[in-house]
Amino acid sequence: MTVAWYLVVSALIFCVGAAGVLVRRSPLVILLCLELMLNAGNLALIAFSRMTGTGDGQIFAIIVMVVAACEVVVGLGIIVALYRRRLPIDVDQLRRLQG
Amino acid sequence: MALSFLLWAPLFFALVGALLGRRMAPKVALFGSAVTLGMAIYYIADFDTGKAGLQHVTDTVWIAALGIHYKLGVDGLNLFLLTLTTLLWCVATLYAYFRQWDRPQLFFFFMGLAESAVLGAFLSQDLALFVAFFDLMLVPFYFLIGTWGGRKRVQATTKLVIYTLVGSLLMLAAAIATGVESVGNSGQISFALSDLVRVGLPVGTQEWIFLLFAAAFLVKMPAFPVHGWLPDGYRAMPIPVVAVFSAVLSKVAAYGFIRIVLPLFPQAAVHFQELLLLIALASILYGSIMAFTQTDLRLIVGFSSIAQLGFITLGIFALNPQGTQGALLQMVNHGLVTAALFFIIAVLAARVGGSEDVRDMGGLAFRAPVLAALFLIVALATLAMPGSSNFMGEFYILLGVFESKLVIACVAFTGVVLASVYMLRAYIGAMHNRVGAKAQSRELSLRDGVVVAPLVLVIVAIAVYPQLLLKRQQASAQAAVAQTALLTHQLALPRATAQTAPVLPQGGQTP
Amino acid sequence: MSPTTWAWICLALPLAGCLFNAFVGRHLPGERTAGWIGTLAIGLSFVAAVGAFIALMGHSPDDRTFTSTAWDYADSVGVNAKLTILIDPLSVYMMLVVSGVSALIHLYSCVYVWKDRGFVRYFAYLNFFVFSMLLLVMAGNFVPLIIGWAFVGAASYMLISFWFRRTTATRAGIKAFVINVIGDVGLVLGTYFIVFRGSGSLDFLDTFKHVQAAFPPNDGDLVAGCILLLVGAFAKSAQVPLHTWLPDAMEGPTPVSALIHAATMVTAGVYLIARMHPLFEDATAAADVGTVVGCATLVIAATIALSQTDIKRVIAYSTMSQIGYMIMAVSASAYAAGMFHLFTHAFFKALLFMAAGSIIGAMGGEQSLDKMGGFRRALPFTFACFLAGGLALSAFPLFSGYFSKDDILALIGGEGGWHWILYVLGYLGAFVTALYTFRMIFRAFLGPECKEARELRETGHIAHHEHPFNPETYEEEDTDVGFPGPGHYIAEQQWPMKVAMSTLAIGAIFGGLIQVPFVDDLVNVYLRPDFVNDPTYEKVINDPSNGLLIFGLILSAVIAIGGIGLAYVIWVRRPSIAVAFRERFRPLYELSFHKWWFDELNDAVFVRPGATVGRWASNVFERVVIDGLVNGTVSVVRAGSSVVRGAQDGFLRVYAALLLLGLALVALWFLLQST
Repeated sequence: MTVAWYLVVSALIFCVGAAGVLVRRSPLVILLCLELMLNAGNLALIAFSRMTGTGDGQIFAIIVMVVAACEVVVGLGIIVALYRRRLPIDVDQLRRLQG
Repeated sequence: MALSFLLWAPLFFALVGALLGRRMAPKVALFGSAVTLGMAIYYIADFDTGKAGLQHVTDTVWIAALGIHYKLGVDGLNLFLLTLTTLLWCVATLYAYFRQWDRPQLFFFFMGLAESAVLGAFLSQDLALFVAFFDLMLVPFYFLIGTWGGRKRVQATTKLVIYTLVGSLLMLAAAIATGVESVGNSGQISFALSDLVRVGLPVGTQEWIFLLFAAAFLVKMPAFPVHGWLPDGYRAMPIPVVAVFSAVLSKVAAYGFIRIVLPLFPQAAVHFQELLLLIALASILYGSIMAFTQTDLRLIVGFSSIAQLGFITLGIFALNPQGTQGALLQMVNHGLVTAALFFIIAVLAARVGGSEDVRDMGGLAFRAPVLAALFLIVALATLAMPGSSNFMGEFYILLGVFESKLVIACVAFTGVVLASVYMLRAYIGAMHNRVGAKAQSRELSLRDGVVVAPLVLVIVAIAVYPQLLLKRQQASAQAAVAQTALLTHQLALPRATAQTAPVLPQGGQTP
Repeated sequence: MSPTTWAWICLALPLAGCLFNAFVGRHLPGERTAGWIGTLAIGLSFVAAVGAFIALMGHSPDDRTFTSTAWDYADSVGVNAKLTILIDPLSVYMMLVVSGVSALIHLYSCVYVWKDRGFVRYFAYLNFFVFSMLLLVMAGNFVPLIIGWAFVGAASYMLISFWFRRTTATRAGIKAFVINVIGDVGLVLGTYFIVFRGSGSLDFLDTFKHVQAAFPPNDGDLVAGCILLLVGAFAKSAQVPLHTWLPDAMEGPTPVSALIHAATMVTAGVYLIARMHPLFEDATAAADVGTVVGCATLVIAATIALSQTDIKRVIAYSTMSQIGYMIMAVSASAYAAGMFHLFTHAFFKALLFMAAGSIIGAMGGEQSLDKMGGFRRALPFTFACFLAGGLALSAFPLFSGYFSKDDILALIGGEGGWHWILYVLGYLGAFVTALYTFRMIFRAFLGPECKEARELRETGHIAHHEHPFNPETYEEEDTDVGFPGPGHYIAEQQWPMKVAMSTLAIGAIFGGLIQVPFVDDLVNVYLRPDFVNDPTYEKVINDPSNGLLIFGLILSAVIAIGGIGLAYVIWVRRPSIAVAFRERFRPLYELSFHKWWFDELNDAVFVRPGATVGRWASNVFERVVIDGLVNGTVSVVRAGSSVVRGAQDGFLRVYAALLLLGLALVALWFLLQST
């Protein structure tokens, strides 16, 4: 099996995630889709790592996971804060955050 | 003692203070500025007077690929500017210490950051490092003015930032160009000033790079047509900030001319000498005339600074050792008197209900003989009365110009007369005549006294013995203009001395 | 002890007195302690000057030049500014005059400003002034000379504005200071020309030694330098056209007028020319300028003095006029004569001011001659002193001014050529001098008694005004800090004033005896070592049997007596003549009364255009051009940003789409590149 199939899967997942980010309005779902995109990237990294036979790609993937975890924490924190303030959970209605 | 300690100590103490919280921040900042001042004084004591080159050099490669060095050093050019900076920061911190500030940790943090940035600009012996520190200076002042400034601070900050950013960008471009253009000859890129001097650029390249640097420095000084940020800026800044800003930041620009422009672009400096001299002359006349039409004391001092910086520029572009000596001496003198004047303005304003307008004042000397005496000493020093160190500074500057461009020197002398008009007008308007309606004459309080008195003491001390500075600056000043003086055929020696006592200036590089 | 040691002591004492009074004067016990300390400092300084004189005379005449350097003031890159003093007969001569007269004036001041709230400050300033003046006359290097020169100006400013809440006083102060700064500039620029175009050393002796080698005679640079030095001298010595500050300086307390604006400071210009004589010998063109300006000043000032009504201003103009004689003398190489007149003038002019101070005290602060009259019997001592000073000023035979003025004019006449014009004008000036001096004396002391004089004579009390007032504008004042104190004093009632005035009166009457033609020439002989290389000086000393001298002595006597007689006729016997003359020659009277319109000229040429330019710069230029520059930039940036701002609408999804689009485009570009 060549690396190409992994990349195809990765690209599909990435597109699903991107589409989700673009169409959905709930921040929770957008966050989930972001995770999807990140993991698509991870998949590609690991596939390349296998192909070249070095561990570099895996290390990158682990770093991405850590970043993703951080991001989720912050993102969920914001969402919880929004709930607390009884603000609409809709990214389109939160435009005024642009400052 | 490595110079890095001196450089980073203010920032270190500022960070510590900020972390310790609002109660401790002022105390730590004050302690830190005092320690820094002590270190700067140590460097005077440890200075090898006869030497022209750098001393206490710290040199590590910072970014190898770009040839940027972390290179610091002290010589006669920056020795007393370091002392001036640390002294004024110490005094300004002391002034701030006695007052309440909103969010003091941040205030003192930015003050410390600003001091480190200024010290860095004075100390760095690498062009890229200089540019980095030069731009870093703007950051803390942006916050200091924008957050703690007075009325119309936003507008003032915007103006200041626009002006200085434009200047900074020009300088950045010029610095990069200098580095890149110098590669061609040596094959290896390096931003260390010592390397750049050795390479030497072709005349055409020198000229356009010179103009970019000159623009950046003239804005910072400020000089006549590009001083638009000054009136609003000076009025908006809080007193300790405006004191250090007007006293020290303008000197960074003047210092940049001597440290970077003259040694690196000597042909261009000679080529544009008259242009720069005319700008300086215009600054002197315009600043003086504006200073005697203003009624706001801060603006009087501000415009008088433009005139004084004009004198300094004049000295630098006399392109001979006399002018440079004068400019270096005058930088220190002017820093001391402007800072003292701003603190005195604060004291005066406190006596007329916060107004800084001279029309609201009058007769303030009535019950305040000590205040009147201190103010008079500072005012007389500002107008460069003979017997003050400022006079010796102007004596050297005008002598330098006299030897290179006679007519300009003669016109510049009108600036000396005008200075006496506007300074005395301000002094009399505030201290003498009938007591103003809102004015309440009372003596200098102790906490203001400890701020103003040390400055006056230093002013008097160097008035009695300016040789203290001149002796240590001599070798470096001669080296800085060695090339330009050679190009303009100024042997820097008058007729009879040249005949009877052919003593060549010591330490001067005569290739 | 060597002369230089004495000189350093002489210089240090006034400074010590100044610092002591400035720092601890306010906390001293006793009402007048600060004054006594100040007087003591100057008195001891005079003793030190005498010590220097004795030490100097102990050396042979060829060996009377001493220098001593305190420290290097600014010694680098070809500038050798050192704090050097040069002690030779000329500087010791000046030290004696300055410290001697100053000591007496300090003594007088102990009474005069007794009740003033600024008593301590006054003595600190006064001591500072004496220090500065001594520094000026002792300097052996251009830089200490310039420093002393400017310090004198600053001290004069502080003392003129001593009553600093009087707007007239502060205005006079700033005027004096600025004109003095113009003089400083002249001096500095002159120094540049002489030293840095020629001699190469700021040291006087070096400069004098090298000057002939460095410059050919009447070299352009040398003449320019000397004329610039003269600008300095004119500003300090109140010569036309830089004289307008002197009459205004009468705003200061009367002893200050006596000290600074008569006896010492204004003679600095005369001293400067005498000191720099090796330069002026080589730059005869510049020396001629000095001669002519001196002569012009002596005539102009004398004519103005004829019509002024403020008693102090009359004396001030007479000072200008007498300094004119001195400047004329020293510029025409009559150095000893000029210095001799400086010496006698210091006595009689200080005396006249002190006596005027006594009258002003009796008038309760009023200074106008129009309101005075008949003080002869109320103030007998003051009258005698004023008369002695007046006779000396008018060059009445055998009084001090008689010999000194005649010396000058005889030497000027001896020069021949166009100097004869100066000679004639000099005697004309002498006639007018006698006229205005006795106009003042007759109007103040003779004639009908004014009410203050009557009150003083009958009750022994000094007239008191309900409210203190400014004698210039009659504005009401109080007597707190910054205004004159409530006390008014007359010499008849105060011994220190009496002592000071009697001493000066003796000098004014007998001072001339040190150099009487055909009898002795002490000044000539004493100053000779200073001018030993000067050919004209030798000629002067060796030729006392000059026919002009005898002729001059007779002419002087006739002119003085004639002038006094005419004054008697006009102002005592037939007062209507003055009025008739005023009506008949209106334009002449206006010219004199308006002081030849120098102030108006000054205002129209410098002050008003300056103010107009300043207003235009701040109202138009600054607002339109400078602010326009930055505001223009701001609006350009703002316009540019409003175009892009539309993209920032806050829709998160639009941002994300744009991001992706960008990424896709980048990827596409790379793909196309790789194929």
